[in-house]
Amino acid sequence: MTPMRLTRSLLPLLIGLGLSAPGFSASSDRWDIPVAIKTLDNGLTVVVSEDHSAPVVGVSVVYKVGMRLEPKNRSGFAHLFEHLMFEGTPNAPEGTFDKVITGGGGRNNGSTRPDYTNYIEVAPVSALEPILWLEADRMKTLDFNAKTLKNQQDVVKEEIRVNVQNQPYGGFMWIDISQHAFQKWENNHDGYGSFVDLENASLDDVRAFHRDYYGPNNAVISLAGDVTPEQGFALAEKYFGKIEARKTPAPPDVSEPLNTKEKRITQPDKLAQVPAVAVAWKIAERGSPDQAPFAVLAEVLSGGDASRFYQSLVKGKEMALNVDFLFGLTGPFEFDGPTLLTIFALYKPNITADQLIAEMDVSIAAIVKDGVGDDELARVKTGMLSDWNNSMESFQERADTLAKFQALWGDAKVVNQVPGWIEAVTSKDLQRVAAKYLTAANRTVIDRKPVAMIAAAEAAAAKPTK
Amino acid sequence: MNNHSIRISLSRRTLGVSLRASLISLALAAPAFAADMQMPKDLPAYAADKPLPVPEIAKKTLENGMTVWVVPRAGVPRVDYVLSFRNAGLSADDPALPGFASTLAGLLSEGTDKRDSKLIAETAQGFGGGVGAFASADGLTISANALASKAGPMLELMAEIARSPNFPEKEVTLAKANALQGLKAAEAQPGFRAERAILSAVYGDHPYARTQATEAGIEAITRDKLVAAYQARVRPDQALLVITGRIDDDKAFELAEKAFADWTTTGDAATAPAATAMKKTASFVHLDRPDSVQSSVRIGRPAIKATDPDYVPLRLTSTLLGGGFSSRLMQNLREDKGYTYGAGVGFRAQAVGGALVASADVRNEVTGAAVGEFFNEFKKIGAEPVSAGELDMNKRYVAGGYLISNQLQGAVAGTLAANWLIGLPPEFLGEYVPKIRAVSAEQVQAMGKKYFAQDQLSIVIVGDKAVVEQLKDYGEFVDQK
Repeated sequence: MTPMRLTRSLLPLLIGLGLSAPGFSASSDRWDIPVAIKTLDNGLTVVVSEDHSAPVVGVSVVYKVGMRLEPKNRSGFAHLFEHLMFEGTPNAPEGTFDKVITGGGGRNNGSTRPDYTNYIEVAPVSALEPILWLEADRMKTLDFNAKTLKNQQDVVKEEIRVNVQNQPYGGFMWIDISQHAFQKWENNHDGYGSFVDLENASLDDVRAFHRDYYGPNNAVISLAGDVTPEQGFALAEKYFGKIEARKTPAPPDVSEPLNTKEKRITQPDKLAQVPAVAVAWKIAERGSPDQAPFAVLAEVLSGGDASRFYQSLVKGKEMALNVDFLFGLTGPFEFDGPTLLTIFALYKPNITADQLIAEMDVSIAAIVKDGVGDDELARVKTGMLSDWNNSMESFQERADTLAKFQALWGDAKVVNQVPGWIEAVTSKDLQRVAAKYLTAANRTVIDRKPVAMIAAAEAAAAKPTK
Repeated sequence: MNNHSIRISLSRRTLGVSLRASLISLALAAPAFAADMQMPKDLPAYAADKPLPVPEIAKKTLENGMTVWVVPRAGVPRVDYVLSFRNAGLSADDPALPGFASTLAGLLSEGTDKRDSKLIAETAQGFGGGVGAFASADGLTISANALASKAGPMLELMAEIARSPNFPEKEVTLAKANALQGLKAAEAQPGFRAERAILSAVYGDHPYARTQATEAGIEAITRDKLVAAYQARVRPDQALLVITGRIDDDKAFELAEKAFADWTTTGDAATAPAATAMKKTASFVHLDRPDSVQSSVRIGRPAIKATDPDYVPLRLTSTLLGGGFSSRLMQNLREDKGYTYGAGVGFRAQAVGGALVASADVRNEVTGAAVGEFFNEFKKIGAEPVSAGELDMNKRYVAGGYLISNQLQGAVAGTLAANWLIGLPPEFLGEYVPKIRAVSAEQVQAMGKKYFAQDQLSIVIVGDKAVVEQLKDYGEFVDQK
């Protein structure tokens, strides 16, 4: 809500990265994060980032399961399941979880993404042990209960109404765009789910999902803040050490090649009054040498008011109200399967989506042809370094980022390498990546128009031409 | 221009943990369990509380009247600046130009005597930070941050934006065109319309009701009006600069002197608007949204300004009612009934008045039932004393929120400036938790009785008109646009 333009992106989870370019930021601006890692005998990996600057601790438990792995006739199940993780266990009935954390002065939340599900808390450090007890308790088992299942089916349906069905644009820039851009079900189904699938979810489904994907061997726990690695490891052993590992199903092959033919879809929007467009390209896989260049390229193109798209589309040509980018539902380094770079913009009624896209193509072609100049590249990297530092400030966010990197990359210490990867990106890298991926053939476009606008255009087209 | 941020959902509660917003929170108490429920027998107790950190604020007033506060920190290599101007916000706007202060704030960084908007954005990016401004009801605030090594140049850039914006004609025209489209986009969101209607129901003709732009108001903005408003409102004798981060007091004061000491001003400063009316007849408003699949419910009333003696007990009372997952409204409407994704109460305390606004978006068929549950909770909190366990849990929740926010240097700077704008002294930050801890169950009940009586509460419903017949028991609903 607050119209501050202090971050480069509107996505809270979108992390920029980067290191200083020579002459721009000083070495004092580098901020290495302490990271200690230990894996327990049952396979649970524990990450601790010690920081005693405040009597606070952030906790994140990341399970390596997300929307891609939910059962095929159960779209939305991974997310519904996430809700059920808060609904009680045989030891701690419904309501206990929230009350213990609230009474400890803490906050909690959870969220579901394609490749992981994360559960987060931040609290005065005096609440750390009760929080760990609660997380371990729900890792062991849940209170599989028809009443809470029905309650959370209702709550999730309200969540979908409030965020999708009753909102203009309805999340089309992340839900619908994936449905059209990807070929495999794992990648292209609606992670919020259909109401029919949600209603069909049974207690047996809940039991099976917990058993298969929520064992300690499929999880990472991360602590950041007023705790030492010795304390953190000992507490993890104390509360989680006796939970037995459980067999996790082998993951399916979800990989997909780049697209070879452009897709363009026009969608009517009953609620919107201003047209919008989402333009998405499939990107490089995790670990590819193209990944860091992609992160930089996204910032060059649409990271804030100094970016090329903002300057051409919002300012120069005055076509758009905003230009924002998304890396799927996460950030440029927080996925482990096919993902999109999506540009989202609201545009003015006196222009067309085609005109807007043609203008974007001019900016992309310029990078392919000429690359990006030293000054521009340096300031973009400086901005990314700063964003990266900022994403590590909050203990909650730091714990969560470390847990996600451990889960996705197999090593939380990667967080201290990413700035170097960004620093190493050259103009030639940007040229190569723009030329290879940001092509029309690899592109999926949704032009989302108010119904009144479509009706007016159809009426005009129906008139006899002069 | 900023209404279309992308919200990635699929979270348990998107409204959840907002660490940046404010330092309203806290409480630590005995290492016993708070709530009145049987706790699991193996659950470990809370450890002893650590001492509450209180920010040490170095203070100085420049000769031109500008107040400067500095809070050095040793964390992230960044410096944060917040520069707030009193009586310079939305409540200072001409009634014919609602939302004007937001346009004024947005245009400050779109061109100065030295740099155009593009160069400003590029310069800020090169410092590893950003600079921007926004208007609130009581003030106008410019915020900036940068890598620690760029602390000096960033403050110079911020001063340039504050002291020599030149409102280029082309930028004014573009800002107006985009504001008109942005308004259209916002009108499609039920929450935007609900907010406008509840503010009007609560504040009537008071300037606090006029925070949203209108088409006519946007069209009437001119460069001359912007320049005149800038000169009257953005001035050092009405300003507070807060500096936090990797910088020491001496260096921070030196930079502030260099950037602002020679800034002079003429003419009288703007004054605050009159106080809001406390008593107001409740109104019942339906805003039609054909085929809406939910009703956006807002229930509100005028409340108090931030410096009122009831401020702290009412803050705790509103938290207990609707401030988190364990609050009564959330437990009832979401966790018990499954009517909504989230229900809560917002207590907005400002410089000359305030409001209490409860909210939930619910499916059509339970609209009346949901309003009934709100009133059940309002009645209960005035009729029965809260138990010791629930009171303690909420005090600790507020205290924890203070600690959590205090971990973030930008939140400390932002809260100090926001408190200053609404009349709270710098010491308030450190005194807040002890004051919350001192609130009694009797006070909470008294707050419930005083501020949640049904006959004072206005109701706004944005939704399909078929839902209105579910609301007959609560009042005569009038249709509004």
